[in-house]
Amino acid sequence: MRYALIAILALLALLIIAPPLLGTGWQYALINALIAALFAAAFNLLVGQGGMLSFGHAAYFGVGAFTVIHLMQSVEYGDIPFPTVLLPLAGAAVSLLCGALAGFFATMRSGVYFALVTLALAELLHSLAPHWDEMFGGEAGLSSMRMPSLGFTFGSTLEVYYLTLSWVVICIGLLYAYTRTPFGRLTLALRDNEQRIRFMGFNAHGTKIVVFAISAMFSGVAGSLMAISNETANYSVFSTQVSALVVLHTFVGGSTIFFGPIVGACVLSLFTFVVSGVTHSWMLYQGIIFVLVMLFAPKGIGGVIQAHIEQRHALPWKRLAAPYALATLAGLMVACATVFVVQSLEIVLSREYAAAVARTGEYAPYTVFAREWQVFHPFTWLFPVLLLVPGLYLLRRAFARIKALWDKDDDDDNGDVPAATQQLMEGGR
Amino acid sequence: MEFLIVSTLNGVIYGMLLFMVSAGLTLIFGMMGVLNFAHASFYMLGAYFAYTLSGLFNFWVGLIVAPLLVAIIGMFIERYMLRRVHAHGHAHELLLTFGLVFIFEELIKLFYGDFPVNYQRPDYLNFAIFNLFGTDYPFYRVFIGLVALLMFIVLFVLLTRTRVGMVVRAAERLPDTARALGHNVPMVFLGVFGAGAALAGLSGAVAGAFFPTNPNMALELGVIVFVVVVVGGLGSLAGSLIASLLIGVFSSFAVGLDWSLASLFGLIGLGDWANSLGGLVTMPLSSISATVPFLLMLIVLLVRPAGLMGSKN
Repeated sequence: MRYALIAILALLALLIIAPPLLGTGWQYALINALIAALFAAAFNLLVGQGGMLSFGHAAYFGVGAFTVIHLMQSVEYGDIPFPTVLLPLAGAAVSLLCGALAGFFATMRSGVYFALVTLALAELLHSLAPHWDEMFGGEAGLSSMRMPSLGFTFGSTLEVYYLTLSWVVICIGLLYAYTRTPFGRLTLALRDNEQRIRFMGFNAHGTKIVVFAISAMFSGVAGSLMAISNETANYSVFSTQVSALVVLHTFVGGSTIFFGPIVGACVLSLFTFVVSGVTHSWMLYQGIIFVLVMLFAPKGIGGVIQAHIEQRHALPWKRLAAPYALATLAGLMVACATVFVVQSLEIVLSREYAAAVARTGEYAPYTVFAREWQVFHPFTWLFPVLLLVPGLYLLRRAFARIKALWDKDDDDDNGDVPAATQQLMEGGR
Repeated sequence: MEFLIVSTLNGVIYGMLLFMVSAGLTLIFGMMGVLNFAHASFYMLGAYFAYTLSGLFNFWVGLIVAPLLVAIIGMFIERYMLRRVHAHGHAHELLLTFGLVFIFEELIKLFYGDFPVNYQRPDYLNFAIFNLFGTDYPFYRVFIGLVALLMFIVLFVLLTRTRVGMVVRAAERLPDTARALGHNVPMVFLGVFGAGAALAGLSGAVAGAFFPTNPNMALELGVIVFVVVVVGGLGSLAGSLIASLLIGVFSSFAVGLDWSLASLFGLIGLGDWANSLGGLVTMPLSSISATVPFLLMLIVLLVRPAGLMGSKN
């Protein structure tokens, strides 16, 4: 616990000190990562702790964003004085109300039906927004300007970054504090056994509404911060893509651990920032990562880390080191092969390449991994196969060995290996 | 009158197409409890495979082979992915298929590019079957309807009149008992998943030659197909047929009508007051036609979650 606190403080210090040394591009990427982290943490309150899988959380994110844009416009035209730093409060309030209303209806159903109600609500907004000019500014959306307040001009990305950082840290702190309250424990109980909650005399439906509304409120804060950072919002904030992305972030990070979704959101959004500059296929890589996590580590990155921390005294680290290194190497080989094939296809099958072939009549060599490749040279396509086949074989061997070592430890430890780890290990078979 | 007949015809045929896609989805849900997010991706894959095959061979080869390829992909997903995460519950299965949607969409973009491809029906299918009020009605629309109708009849006969259908229905209702009686239930699941995928692939292959074939088609149709299966009742084949026709006819009518809530108020003499409100109240039906299916879905979920014909909740 003490180590966790030190790690968090160190990370926080880094987040405060580092950005002025970075370029505007990275500052902007960090803002987006922080917003995604808050959104995922808010979403996880509903999904991971409340046990309600929503496919329409973009609705509350978007409501927060549009509320703030409207308010910013009023401030800009001098109708209402409102300090820029407190704008997310307004987004939070409106999202809370919308969340309570939507939550009342959505939580009447559970399981797949709950997911479908939330999906329908978000799609309703998404299909309505482009036609409702007064409220959502039609297809173009609404835009405004950040006004100076409390001595800050909010003209530079850096100032917006610190504003975002403060709000995200406060909100994630509040969300963490929530899990420690009696109501937070009740939320967990709701997930585990709703019927028992009712027998104990709690109002299950009412509790669900409150959880839904609080989750919507913090999503609204995230949306507000997005609106402040972009100074614009259009109907696409309600799109399925936004709802989908938060699901991806949360489950890659691991929904059963509080910090899982935050880790997932930061890792994936920074991954997107780096990769989307290099390739169009970044969404494909993200999809592959998500599916692999679902298949082999159902509790996400967070679950794997947690399992290792819990077992740190019992694990034979010295004997594990070799198979872990082998697994990393084999994983890199497989990843390299996949990236090579995808990137090659992206270039060779592109319109530009086809046009160049039609113009010059020859298949020009292309560059991947800083090396030139001939399209019809056998080695070009032998190369990924040579990486992939041994890579997969070694990966299986390594995971079989890792599993054997974990299982042996399992016997000494009354069989108390967390489920996530066992599932992770099964990946090797 | 012209509007009425043409819209009804278009609506019914669009509805039949929706039914082709949703039949597999509802069958799979009824049986395995898996709401397959990637189902509309099978529809897209069917269209793209048929496009490639019709370029290499001819249109009919595409129409027949593309669904088979999609079925193979579907069975692979069921056997090696869904079955693996089955132990972690339905939510995980849902999430897995959700991830697959992205992979399929991006793979299609990778291979075919992020723009519509020119998948065309052969010229000899490109004629007017009859003349309605001076406009030619394309034969191909009727062809889509006929394929869907044929598929419905085959499916219906297969499920209710044959031994295979009996085993499938038994495995759906009481999987444990069916297993105890010596039927290979996982094999049945695999078959149903493959058949459902093939149906979606077939509808993609047929419809792709008429409607645009682009990487967004899965997403666009996918949400509407969800509305259909929910309104019809998850797991009910007859329900999804009715709901498909309902939504098909509705969407083809809605684009041509400029009714609004204000005109509804006008009927009781409050038209001027309603018009002065503006906003949602004066929005014409044609511009919010995309919204109404979701409203319908929402109402059904809240009032009667079992849907029109469903029996389970």
